[in-house]
Amino acid sequence: MIRRVGRFGWSRRLTALAFLTLIAVGGRVDPGWFTGTAAATEIGGVLRLVDPLAALESSLASRSLGIDVLLGAGLLLGFAVLMGPVFCGWICPMGLLLDLNEGLRIRVARVLGRRGVQLPAWHLPRSSASRLRFVVLGGLLGFALVGRWPVFQIVSPIQAVASSAAHGVTAMLALSAVVLAVDWLAPRIWCRALCPLGATYALAGAFAPFRVRVDLAEAGRTPCRSCTRHCPMGVPVMEEYALQGRPSVDALECTRCGACVDACPSSVLGFGVVDRSSSGGNGRRSGKTDAPRSAVAEPAREPRKVCEVGS
Amino acid sequence: MQRGDVSDRTPLRDGTMAVGSRRGFVAGLVALGCGAGAGAGLGAVARGSEVTARLRPPGAGRQSDFLAACIRCGQCSAACPQDALCVVGGWSVLLGGDFAGYATPEVDDPRARPCTLCPEHDAMPCVAACPTDALTDPGARDAVYMGTAVLNTATCFAYNGVTCRACWHACPYPGTALAFDERLRPVVAAEHCVGCGLCIHACLTEEASIHIAPRREQAARGGAA
Ligand code: SF4
Ligand code: SF4
Ligand code: SF4
Ligand code: SF4
Repeated sequence: MIRRVGRFGWSRRLTALAFLTLIAVGGRVDPGWFTGTAAATEIGGVLRLVDPLAALESSLASRSLGIDVLLGAGLLLGFAVLMGPVFCGWICPMGLLLDLNEGLRIRVARVLGRRGVQLPAWHLPRSSASRLRFVVLGGLLGFALVGRWPVFQIVSPIQAVASSAAHGVTAMLALSAVVLAVDWLAPRIWCRALCPLGATYALAGAFAPFRVRVDLAEAGRTPCRSCTRHCPMGVPVMEEYALQGRPSVDALECTRCGACVDACPSSVLGFGVVDRSSSGGNGRRSGKTDAPRSAVAEPAREPRKVCEVGS
Repeated sequence: MQRGDVSDRTPLRDGTMAVGSRRGFVAGLVALGCGAGAGAGLGAVARGSEVTARLRPPGAGRQSDFLAACIRCGQCSAACPQDALCVVGGWSVLLGGDFAGYATPEVDDPRARPCTLCPEHDAMPCVAACPTDALTDPGARDAVYMGTAVLNTATCFAYNGVTCRACWHACPYPGTALAFDERLRPVVAAEHCVGCGLCIHACLTEEASIHIAPRREQAARGGAA
C-alpha cells in the first residue's frame, strides 16, 4: 500500500507538536504567557482552558463547580460541539506519538512484507470498540462521584507525556509506552476503544456540523477504499458513507484528522460545514441502501448547504 | 478480536454499520451509564482508603478533599515564585502505595524552600493559578491551614540551655502561632499555626528541630485528625 501523508497529515502533526513544545517551554523556560499541561493551560495570563474530562472528574469528586472549570472546560466542549473531536486529531500529545508510531509501523510492515512476514494487526469489532470507551468514561465518572478520586488525571497516558515535558514527572510514561507497544499488535486500540478523553469529545461533538464531506457524484466512480484503509479510527468512509449515499461522515469516531482526505486520489472527500437543519443529509432513508450504484445515480442533496473549507 | 491486514485499518468482517451521530450518541450514553455503575461500585470499595498526608499548598483543605478536586495540572507549582512547590512524581510514589498522590503538588523541602505565603502578593499566586477548587482563597493569610509545626525538644537549642529565637523571628505570626514559655522556650499554638514551614527554614540546629505535621482530615486548626 502506498501511504499518503498529505497536507493534513503534516499539519496535524505540526499542531500537536506545537502544543507539546509549548507545554515543555512553559514548564521549563516560562515565557510568561504560557503555562500548562494537558489537564489545564493558561495562555496570556487570561485564557484558561481546562481539560473537560478533568473538569468533570474534579467536579464530581469535589462536588463543586468553580467558574474557572466551568469556563475553561466549557470553551473546549463548545469548540467540540461545533468542530467535533478535533483535539484527538490535531492536539493530543499521545495522538501525536501514536500517529508517528503508526508511520513507523507501516514502514516496518512494508519491509517485513517483502520478506513474507506479516505484522499482527488485531482489531476489536467496531461495534464493541466504539462502545467500550464510553464504558471506560462512565466508569471514571462513577468512580469520581463515589470514590472521590479523579483517576484519569493520575493514570492518563496523555497527561503523562505532557507532564514529563512540563515538569519531568515521568513515572506514568510507562503507561504511554505500553499504549505505544500495544499499538503494534492492535493498531490504534487506545483511541478507538479505550480513551475516555476521546469519548468525552466524541459525545460533545456527536452532532458537530464540521465534518468530512463526501462528493457523492464523484464517489461511485472511484471506490478504491483508500480513505477507509487510511482512517486511523477505523471509520469505513467509503463503504458506510460514500457508497451509502451519505454526504458527510458523522461517525462518532471521526477525529477530523484528514487522513482520508489526504488519501483520496480523486476529489471525493474534503472538510466542510454541514447545515445542521439538514443533518448533513444523513437521514434514515438513505442509511440502509446497499447498492453502490444508487450513490452515483442520486445527486448530492442540498449541495448549496455545504460550503467547502477543504479540498 | 479479529485479524486484519496491517495496512487495512478497517476490517469490515464484523459487518457493523458505521456508528453515526444519532445511534452512536445514544449507544454511547447507554455504555456510559453501564460504565458509571461499575465505576461507582469500584469507587465504593476504594472510598475512605488511607491517603498519604503531604504538605499541600496554602488554600488546600482536608487531604481527601484536596485529592478529590486536584486535576494534577501542576499550574500551582509553575506559578510559585518561591519555587516552594513541586509536583510529586516518580516510581517511589507509585510503588510506595501513594497512588492518589501521584502528580499532586506539595511543599517538598521547607528546609530549603519554604512557602512564604507570598505577603507581597494580594492573592497567593498558587491559589490564583489553580483552575479547580483544590486551592481556594482562605480569605486572610492567617486562616491558611497547611499543617501544624511540631518541635523536637530533644534537639531544639532553647530546650537545651542555649538562647535562640530563630523560628520566632521567621514565623509570620510570632506571639500567636509561635510563642515563648516562661523559660523562653518556643511553643507552638496549634490553633494559630498555619503550617507554612518558615520556622523549619530558619531553625539553626544542624537538622531542623521543628517540622510540620501536614493537615490530614481536620476540619479546623487544632482539631483531631
Ligand atoms: S473519517 Fe477521515 S477524518 Fe475522520 S478519523 Fe477517519 S481518516 Fe480521520
Ligand atoms: S503562597 Fe507563595 S510561596 Fe507559598 S506555595 Fe503559594 S505561591 Fe508558593
Ligand atoms: S493548580 Fe490546583 S488542580 Fe492544578 S495541580 Fe495545583 S492544586 Fe492541583
Ligand atoms: S510556627 Fe512555623 S509553621 Fe507555624 S506559622 Fe510559625 S513559622 Fe509557620
